[in-house]
Amino acid sequence: MKKILKRLFLLLAVVCIPVGFFIQHDHVVFFWHKIPSIEAIFGVIGALLLIVAAAILTSFAQKKEDFYD
Amino acid sequence: MIKAIPPAALFILGAMLIPFLRGRVKQLYMLMVPVVAFLDILYLTPGTSWVYNFLGYDLIFCKVDKLSLVVGYIFIIIGFLAILYSLHVKQDGQHIAAFLYIGSSLGVVFAGDYFSLFAFWEIMAVASVFLIWFQKDKDSLNAGFRYILMHIFGGCCLLAGIIIYTVSNKSINVVILEPSFAYWLILIGFGLNTAFIPIHTWLPDAYPEGTVTGSVFLSVFTTKTGVYVLARCFSGVELVAYMGGIMAVYGVIFALLQNNARRLLAYHIVSQVGYMVAGVGVGTAQAVNGGIAHVFNHILYKALLFMCMGSVMYMTGKRKLTDMGGLAKFMPITCITFVVAALSISGAPGFNGFISKGMIIASTVEAHMPVLELMLILASVGTFLSFVKLGYFAFFAENPEIQSKEAPFNMQLAMGLTAFLCVFIGIYPKVLFDILPYSVVHYHPFTPSHIFGVIQLFMLAGVAFILARAMVVPHRATILDFDYFYRMGGRGLLWICTAPMSKLRSTLQVRFSRAVYIISRLAKNPISILEIPTAYVYLRITKGLRYVSGYSSGETYDEDLYRRPIGVGVLMAIIILFVLVLIYFIF
Repeated sequence: MKKILKRLFLLLAVVCIPVGFFIQHDHVVFFWHKIPSIEAIFGVIGALLLIVAAAILTSFAQKKEDFYD
Repeated sequence: MIKAIPPAALFILGAMLIPFLRGRVKQLYMLMVPVVAFLDILYLTPGTSWVYNFLGYDLIFCKVDKLSLVVGYIFIIIGFLAILYSLHVKQDGQHIAAFLYIGSSLGVVFAGDYFSLFAFWEIMAVASVFLIWFQKDKDSLNAGFRYILMHIFGGCCLLAGIIIYTVSNKSINVVILEPSFAYWLILIGFGLNTAFIPIHTWLPDAYPEGTVTGSVFLSVFTTKTGVYVLARCFSGVELVAYMGGIMAVYGVIFALLQNNARRLLAYHIVSQVGYMVAGVGVGTAQAVNGGIAHVFNHILYKALLFMCMGSVMYMTGKRKLTDMGGLAKFMPITCITFVVAALSISGAPGFNGFISKGMIIASTVEAHMPVLELMLILASVGTFLSFVKLGYFAFFAENPEIQSKEAPFNMQLAMGLTAFLCVFIGIYPKVLFDILPYSVVHYHPFTPSHIFGVIQLFMLAGVAFILARAMVVPHRATILDFDYFYRMGGRGLLWICTAPMSKLRSTLQVRFSRAVYIISRLAKNPISILEIPTAYVYLRITKGLRYVSGYSSGETYDEDLYRRPIGVGVLMAIIILFVLVLIYFIF
């Protein structure tokens, strides 16, 4: 069941990228508003950026639970 | 017609009656106070009332306009829901602290001058700390002390700023401020409550240590009054806007790494308040509307999240994600309401966060602030990810050891009602738009591009999350924040006080007491000042000679031999008297 849900989710995620080409941004102000499916790109890049930032933070700021005691 | 009274008074005076009531009557009374306050606020007419003259200045307890009304409405609504959530609590102290906290927050909202604003501001800090201390364990006691210390620091900055402002401007009315020394001090004071980076550390430190019900109140009032006063005094300041962006991103990065469920939520307060601060900082009509709409929505879903995690903690005693999992089976209502809150905070279409977050991001585009737009989108991705994480590890991950029951009925009812409001505003935002400070003209939340954009953002972020999930799996660890510097600085200060300063004090004390001893000895017989060294030298020599020669006279000390005749004492007294008289006549 879990696997089916996961695959369905991945499938939907892939499908929603070409659908984005048919929908235009409401107010084009910056250049990225013209790129179709830009939110998909933001989603991937954003998630990766945050995970990398979190990993960097962990490398020097992660201490034992009783660090302050 | 009866004049409407400041809603703050209802809660603050209302708190006094709580200890005298028992059982159902007390519960009914506590629920009636916010109801009466809500009716009262409906009767408030725009303008200023309840004005008192104090030292030549006008104290305004009731300044009513659209901005104060919208914040007032939501404070009272959430006050009602949070009181409903905490009805089962037996300790009157907690209820009194909560009432004073709500009352003083409303006091800040309706204050029209800096003096009364400051007074309510401080009552807020003192009342709220008791909601932490009532948890009654070592961690909450310590966290409470750190919380109050930081708030006292912020309060001092604010007071100093207000005094300088008052002296230079001869006015205490709350208005948009112009850059000056007082401006910066007031900004630090307000910024501390709004959790500006890096003076935000009290928030993720203390909020997870509050009582189950106390943290619900805490999550609502302090930071939102901060945003409110920023909207009053610092609207349209670019620095504030970018600070909002930094807070939004900073909060989610730290939230992603947390193991304590309520600390994760606390970091999300920093992040979400960042959105509001950004809106207020951008300062256009749409941005301020967005910021205040986000205050309204955030209060609902964040209180709901704290209610859900509070229920989990109340029923299972567990605070950490590593100890939770599989609770969806045992606590279905809590789980469903949590999902509603998580979708609301993430800004999913059909939930209230979608409306206000969209407004703020659209306003940054309108104001041509591309960096801020990207920062807020990034924070939005992070919010979604960390709520996927929180929901998964708390409710859906497998944990064969966990057993629990659903929370008490009053808690479920409060969660249900709050969840309903989140969805209601998400579907029918007009109710919110109608009460915002500026009229909403150009904003339409349900456009295909907006709805689909958010879906795409979440879908693809979800894919990235599945691929890199191992990086954000909760660990039993502490993630150091800026509070490392404050705590280590505090320890350093303590060491300086206990080790070198204490040694210096004891050395000085010994020296001084010896000096006092010598002076007092000499003062007994001032004439002997000269004789003592002579006698000392003589004694040394004779003693030395005797030692060398081996001679002992067998003489003993006879005090009559060294005593002065009484006449010398009389002479001294006469001389001193003469000098005193001389001084008296000359001067």
